[in-house]
Order: sequence, then C-alpha cells, then structure tokens
Amino acid sequence: MTMRLVSAELVESRQILPGQWIQSFHAPELATGSRAGQFVHVRTGDYSGLVLRRPFSINTADLVTGIVTLHFRTVGRGTEWLTRAREGDRLDMLGPLGRPFEVDPRSRHLLLIAGGLGMAGIRMLADEAVHDDRQVVVLFGAQSASHVYPSSLLPDEVEYVVATDDGSLGHHGFVTELVTEYEAWADQAFACGPHPMLKRLAALAAGRRDRLGVAKLGRKRGGGKVDPLGSTAARRKAFLQVSMEQTMGCAVGACLGCTVIGVDGPLRVCREGPVFAAEEIAWESIA
Amino acid sequence: MKARKKVVTAADVRLAKATGQSKPAKAKRTPTVRTIKSAIVPVDRSARSFSGRPRVETGSAAVADLGAPLAARPTLVEREALDRIDLSIELAPQRGLRLPNPIMVASGTFGYGVEYGEVVDVQRLGAICCKGTTLRPRAGNPPPRVTETPGGMLNSIGLQNPGVDAVIEKYGPVWQGWKVPVIVNVAGESIEDYVEVARRLDGVPGVAGIELNISCPNVGKGGLQFAIDRDAARAVTAAVRRATDLPLLVKLSPNVADVRPIAKAIEEAGADAITAINTLSGLAVSADRTRAFLGNTYGGLSGPAIKPVALRIVYEVAQVVSIPIVGIGGVTSLADVLDFMACGAVAVQVGTAIFADPELPVRLGDELRAECLRRGLSSCAPLVGTALPKRTGAPSAKGAEYRP
Repeated sequence: MTMRLVSAELVESRQILPGQWIQSFHAPELATGSRAGQFVHVRTGDYSGLVLRRPFSINTADLVTGIVTLHFRTVGRGTEWLTRAREGDRLDMLGPLGRPFEVDPRSRHLLLIAGGLGMAGIRMLADEAVHDDRQVVVLFGAQSASHVYPSSLLPDEVEYVVATDDGSLGHHGFVTELVTEYEAWADQAFACGPHPMLKRLAALAAGRRDRLGVAKLGRKRGGGKVDPLGSTAARRKAFLQVSMEQTMGCAVGACLGCTVIGVDGPLRVCREGPVFAAEEIAWESIA
Repeated sequence: MKARKKVVTAADVRLAKATGQSKPAKAKRTPTVRTIKSAIVPVDRSARSFSGRPRVETGSAAVADLGAPLAARPTLVEREALDRIDLSIELAPQRGLRLPNPIMVASGTFGYGVEYGEVVDVQRLGAICCKGTTLRPRAGNPPPRVTETPGGMLNSIGLQNPGVDAVIEKYGPVWQGWKVPVIVNVAGESIEDYVEVARRLDGVPGVAGIELNISCPNVGKGGLQFAIDRDAARAVTAAVRRATDLPLLVKLSPNVADVRPIAKAIEEAGADAITAINTLSGLAVSADRTRAFLGNTYGGLSGPAIKPVALRIVYEVAQVVSIPIVGIGGVTSLADVLDFMACGAVAVQVGTAIFADPELPVRLGDELRAECLRRGLSSCAPLVGTALPKRTGAPSAKGAEYRP
C-alpha cells in the first residue's frame, strides 16, 4: 500500500516496562495496508520546538479491529510528549513507510532476534509467521530482568528465549550468544536492535554455512540466477534480514538524512530499508 | 471469487444509486448545509466581535476565513472570486520563469518532487527546487546526517546525488509532464563544475530554471567559499550566466558578516533572482558528549529557529538589489509567508516544515489566496516590501548618512 497521511485516534496507552510504552491507535487505513517491518512517521504536537516527526516501527496491526500499536521508549521530548497523549487524541501519522521483512515462502522455521526495543521491529513478524503456520523462536536480549519484554504480549505459539546482560533472567550474556544453538534449525533469521548487535549477527550469519557444513548440492535456488542486491527476491533468499535505525528527516526518501552505508553506497533507511538483507550493509562502517 | 463478485455487485449497486438518484439526493443535501451555515454564523460573529478570530491552522478553514460571515466552505461566488486572484509571479522578468503561486518547496527537502507521491499534489505548488545536483555522483557525508535542535534541525547530507546526467535521464521526462516549474539546484566544487552542470541542463525539457547553490555549509570544497566572497560569487554567477540562458537564481549564505555586497555582486553578474537564505552552520554534540553528533561534525541549521536571521537578510538584500528575492528560512505558516513578503520577498520556499507537514506548501498557497481576497487584493504584489524603510527622495543635503 502506498503511504498516506492518517489521523489515528489513541485508544489505549500503557507503560509495559520502565520507560517503555505501548500505545494502541485506531487507524484502519494503516492496519490493513502495513506489513511487518514497516514504520509510521508520527507528528509531534508542539511544532515550535519539535520540528521533526518521529519514526516508529509498527508493533502490531489488527485487520479486524483496525488497531495499530506502537512500542517506544521515552528518550527525548518527542516521545515524552507522546506518553502524555490521552485516549481520544488524534495523532497525525504518515505511513506505512519503508520496505517490509521478506519471508521466503519455503521457510518453515523463523528465528527472530531482538535487542531491547528492537522487539518493536520484529513483533509484527511473529504475528505474520504464526498466521502462516511457521514455527517461530524469538531470542530477546535486555539489560536485566526488569527490562524483559513480557511474554504475555507475544503470541502463544512462539518459543521465547531470553538473555540478560546481568544474568537476572535466562541466559547470562548477549542475545547473540544464543544464536548458534538455533542457526541450524532456522531457515531464516530476522533481527532488530542496537547496531553492534546487528553487526555481530551479520558476522555470525556470514559464517553459518561453513559452521554447519552445508553442502551445495544439486541445482541452485532460482536456477543460478543472481538477483540484484537489495531486490525483494534477493532479500527473500537472504538468511539474515535486519531492521536498521537512523535519525530521520522526511521518511519518504526526499532528504537523504537517514542513510546507512551499504556495500554499494549510501542506503536510505526510510526507502531501501528499514529492513535490509545483511549482505547489503557495509558492516565495517558501523561502530 | 465469491468475495470479488460481491464487491462488483456492491459497486454496481452504488453506481446505479449514483446515476439513478443523483438529482433527488442533491436537492435533499443542499438545504441541510444551509441550515448548518445559518446556525453557525451568529456564533462566529459574536466570537469575532470582541477578540477577532485566531489565526486558522487548517487549509479548509483558511479558505473559509474570508472575513465575511461565511461558514464551512466558500460558496460558488467566493470560489470564483478566489480564482480571479492572480497569485502568479515572475521570478525572471527577462527570461521568463512564471510561477503559478509564490509558495515553492526548498531544495533538499522535497527530493526530486516524486518522493512524497500521493501525499502531496505537486501540481499545486508554485515551484519545486530539486535536491542539489553536481556534475558527478556524490555519496554524501557519513551518517548520522540529521538531528533535531530546539525549533529546528541540523543536516549534513553533503550533497548526495546521482549526478546531473542521471538526474536528467531519470527525472527530466517526469518533470516535463508536470505543469509545476522545476528549478534544479546546482552545486559544484569549481566554477567549471557549475558551468558544466548548467550547460547540460540548458535545453532539457522540464527544467524551468537553475538555482545556484553556492552556500552549502556541509561540504569541504565547493560549499561556502563561493558565497562568502564577493568576487567569487560574482565570478561563478557570471560564468554560469554565460553558459546558459535558463532563468538563474543564486542562493545566499547567512554565514557572512555582510551579505549586501555579495547580493549586489550576484545581481550585477546577471542573476535573475536571489534566494535567501541557505542553512546556518551549526553543531550538535553526541549523547555521551565524546564527539560531535553528526558524521560530518558540522551541519546546517534550518527550521523556525532561523526565521529571524532569514528575515533580516531578506530585509537587507531587498534594499540593495532590484531583482526578485525568494525568501526561505523557517516558513511554517501564512504569517511567516506574509512576514517574508513584507520584508521584500516576492516568493517563499518552504523547507524543514514539509517533514512535519507535507501538505503545508499547497495549503499555504490556498491560505495566501484567501488572505488576498480578505484584503481585497487581486494579486499578492501589494504585500511585498511593506515593512521596508520608506525611500526618501533625494539624498539628504545635510550630510552623508551612514548605516552599517
């Protein structure tokens, strides 16, 4: 669906974790047209001080009720303003924007990896995958038990594995350390989180075939045809897709503000992304 | 299949309804609207009688705000009156660059005009200034490239663009089909670069003019050095002027001590109009305060925060040049448009505000039209320069008056 300007009515606002909120909006136009990985650009109230919209991943979208949820953390004046919105308030949203996650139709086992607020980026993909009868494992990393995304907010069909930096819940260490246990099982992996985490995952994904000793036998998928980097077909074949974050201006590809460095030059997070196949990104440029 | 069939039948029914019952439905609807109007009018009047109405924010309301006690939408008579107002302006009197209205979109904030897609009706804009275009492709600056600051934003895109040939090839045919004039913003590292880009744009269908970007604060070479020096500004303007017959705008930088000699030099070198201003050079610090936030360290400040600076420069330039001035810097409302016009700008560009409100430029055009009607003007020319100091006749005989 093409983007449009939508007036979304706030239906519910709740704090799910310290400083983290989930807000539900009635926006049928967004709910029907959006896919996992896409985002909306939300206009804040006070233009005299806050001149830019704020991009948020679409956390969930319910086709039946027309409810779209956003999951965010209060990091500055824009998000603080958003937490003060009341039920019935109408927010100006531009969306859905960006390109979604591309799941190979043959993939049965999906590994979703989220770091902290990265859950907002992959949450909707869990819904879509469950709906398509795919098996889903969600690996989630947070600082401590108090920052762990509540399992009650995930679909029941999902296997939920947690890692915390301080060991207060689940695996003691980074979420990336859990990946090796699942990489043989997974047909595809999808990740969202801090850039260092994504960088580590990309390195893991690059070495996956060798570690698993995957033999290249028989015909190649697609008859050996090489899809151009960044195309939907190429992304569909990629093992790891990542949802990237960048400070953003227009969110429609006009201002070129939200770029990340790709192997073929700058890529706009808002247009070519926010989802990229791991091979598209020049990971050495990312700190 | 079933579902599709259903939809078709529903549409058929609707179609049948529309064709069969259109007349009775119309007859029913019109009186309803009138009753509502008459119900609102007294409230409206009383509200105005003691305080005057607050400035309206939305387009439809602005169109309705015609001074007369009219509610909701302009009637046919008002719409005709609105249509009679001629907002068109001539930016290049000698070469011909007529804009349907004075609200333009600023370079770098509107891409190549296609990005906002169906959200904005580009055909209703005064003009589009496209992203800064250079001779060769440029990858731009390292990210992050934008950040918000109080009342504004910093950007350091660094003139990322695919190069003039790719721009012409990709967007020229699109622009050709548009009735809105597209002005190509041209940047370069040397005078030769500017000249070559201008030469390649000359005669390209769909290119209505050139805006010379000699004031980008975000690139090492070819950025500011042409805009901060009078002779360099004169040289680059004159060289491009010789290379092309396209209408030529030159965009001034605010990052100078006195902009007036530069503006004068640009006028003398043959520019058709002056755009003022580009961004102010600025800096933001990273969250952990260990480095500058932007990948390029410095960025250009834009948004409402720079409006007073932009007004000052338009005001100064308007007193020393006679070519048209396009005001830009923090335009977010009709009041801002009128401010710039009062300071001598014949047109304005909307930039940063588009990011928050993509429909704003089109709406400002509507609001300006309504404002002209409210003031009983047939064009917006009388709004220009009203705040400039009144010209006295002959110079004072009592001695030279010095104004810094």
